Amino acid sequence: MDKTIRIEVLFPEIANLYGDLENISYLKKSCPEIEVAETHLVGEPCFMEKTPDLIYMGTLTERGQRLAVEKLAQYKAKIVEMIEAGVHFLVTGNALEVFGGKITDTNGSEDCGLEIFPIHAKRDMMKRFNSLYLAKFVDGETAMDIVGYKSQFTHSYWDGEAGEGVFDTVRGPGLNPEITKEGVRRNNFLGTYVIGPVLVLNPPFAKWLLKEIGAGDVELAFEKEAMEAYEARVKEYSDENTGFYY
Amino acid sequence: MEILRYYIALWAAKLSIVALKITKHNGTNFPGVLALKICPRFLKYAAKPEKIIAVTGTNGKTTTSNMLLDMLTMDGHNVLNNKMGSNINSGIASSLIYGSTIFGKCKHKVGLFEIDERSAVRVFPYMKPDYMLITNLSRDSIMRNGHPEYIGDILTKYIPKETKLVVNADCLISCGIAPENERVYFGIEEMEGDIKECINLINDIQICPDCHNKLEYEYLRYNHIGKAYCPVCGFKAPEYDYAGVNVNVADMTIDVKDAEGTGHYKLLNESVFNIYNVVSAVALLRQMGYSHEKIESFFEKLNIVGSRLHEEKIGDKTLIKLLAKEKNAFATSRVFDYISTLPGDKEIILMNSCQGDMKHWSENTCWLYDCDFEFLNQDCIKNIVLCGPRRLDHKLRLLLAGVPEEKLSYSEKEIDAPDQLKLFENDNVYVLYGTDSIGLGNRVAAKVRELMKGGRD
Ligand SMILES: [Zn+2]
Repeated sequence: MDKTIRIEVLFPEIANLYGDLENISYLKKSCPEIEVAETHLVGEPCFMEKTPDLIYMGTLTERGQRLAVEKLAQYKAKIVEMIEAGVHFLVTGNALEVFGGKITDTNGSEDCGLEIFPIHAKRDMMKRFNSLYLAKFVDGETAMDIVGYKSQFTHSYWDGEAGEGVFDTVRGPGLNPEITKEGVRRNNFLGTYVIGPVLVLNPPFAKWLLKEIGAGDVELAFEKEAMEAYEARVKEYSDENTGFYY
Repeated sequence: MEILRYYIALWAAKLSIVALKITKHNGTNFPGVLALKICPRFLKYAAKPEKIIAVTGTNGKTTTSNMLLDMLTMDGHNVLNNKMGSNINSGIASSLIYGSTIFGKCKHKVGLFEIDERSAVRVFPYMKPDYMLITNLSRDSIMRNGHPEYIGDILTKYIPKETKLVVNADCLISCGIAPENERVYFGIEEMEGDIKECINLINDIQICPDCHNKLEYEYLRYNHIGKAYCPVCGFKAPEYDYAGVNVNVADMTIDVKDAEGTGHYKLLNESVFNIYNVVSAVALLRQMGYSHEKIESFFEKLNIVGSRLHEEKIGDKTLIKLLAKEKNAFATSRVFDYISTLPGDKEIILMNSCQGDMKHWSENTCWLYDCDFEFLNQDCIKNIVLCGPRRLDHKLRLLLAGVPEEKLSYSEKEIDAPDQLKLFENDNVYVLYGTDSIGLGNRVAAKVRELMKGGRD
């Protein structure tokens, strides 16, 4: 690793549900030289001063989503510029909706994201959707299994023709239950509804990401144990007898 | 015509109670389930006690309800309650059925109900508590409860406007519930062991509700429980109407101070979690008009239920069974923290895999990374036995928490876990089981007991 890798976490004070922040802790534990900066609701985002190697944002409450959108709206041009320039983003859970369009609630209310991606979300606070998740992640020569969890009040839909996803779903829903493409990908922006410690659950994905952001071939923290748990989970989720929905 | 449906439901449910008795079936909730099936708005028509007290919140509602039930009973009330049934709408319906005559008249003057936060939707449209105690709100099951703000919003939407709230002022999430309702606050003043900054992974209210700057704490107990203020705009957590002061863990006493005086109370358990339960119960009873002297006398007579029952001395060793709710990171963190502060060297059998989930899907393990396994990284904890379907996940989590690998041992099946114990001199063995592995927990504990008695070298 020739230069210092910088990761910026957006709004850890509100975007921290379901163990999501462990994603970054895990990268830091695996590669202690990584610098982690936090951008808060008050003050200017770190990315305005210096473009980081990875921007991370985790799952929020619905009110948290509104606050994040309100804050980021004034920096939308810079965010779009970074996405187009190929800056890496990892966005988990409903943080994905912050970068999308309208969020329509069954109670009649409506929120709106930054409208960077042509997707819209439908929300029903009385119907929580829970499932396990199994998918393939393919990027050039790289291909791997992905395992994880979904637990959400919303699903997102492409406004027109479906765009590029992050994962190809094997079991569980895609961006919504009607499609198999999961999440939203543009260049190096990876936004997925999969919640929680995705990188801990998927060590090959963590290794791929570390390489992508310039950290090189890193031996992960407790890689052997992480791989053992990962392989067992891939096997379990691939087994047709494993129920998939809560 | 719905009223006719109600009577049919009531009589069918009453008959089912007789049938259950004759066939020696245990089905406390069944009458309620049946009644709601016949008449979905059964709760609307069911006769209710004149005075209704509801207790809700993420943690402590069962303990507090039981305490209140015992004390109101001491005062001579025949209190209708859902202690034996569930805390959702069918459990409440069952209680009302048991408490009603076949003509649909309520036999009780006072009702005390523990109510699951999410059941507010199905209960409160038809039942208007006079008082509602809100113990706290925190993260719970990711699948069922989402996040505490969501639960708070449900309560705000459904708590009847006329219900007077008794709220934990040291839980800012609870303070935000039903802002229009009349309320009083309880809390505990600064005490030994308080900190200023959150050391837990879960901290669900970090920003000032007014200006979004980082909240600070005059004193903090755990997670977000403490006295918050905003150093930027001057926002402050509410003042206490009922303040716990002079907590004395050595003497197991606490004073509760209010505008009219101070009462001197007996603590039932030294954990801060339980001290809150005591203060909340006193606040509620004071609000109902009981004097400090009267409540003191109730506390004197309260049985110290459960606080030591789970502990068993066998030779020089001690066996301790503790419930660590699976998939509830907040509650399990409290248990880990509690264990880490107790004296003596320890071994732990960690049975935290959710047994219920294994039947129809696979456990969502995200909660492991909300839960402070870091508390188990202590010199006094010598061996942690990992077992059950999620043991590989627990292993990785504990390693990431800094627990050295040599302190971990493994067993595929929970029942074989005791074989991995070292059972050293003066050992304290903790069996941590979940709500859906109580039976299995007892069997594992029985095996530990046998091994301890057998005096293995
Ligand atoms: Zn403020």
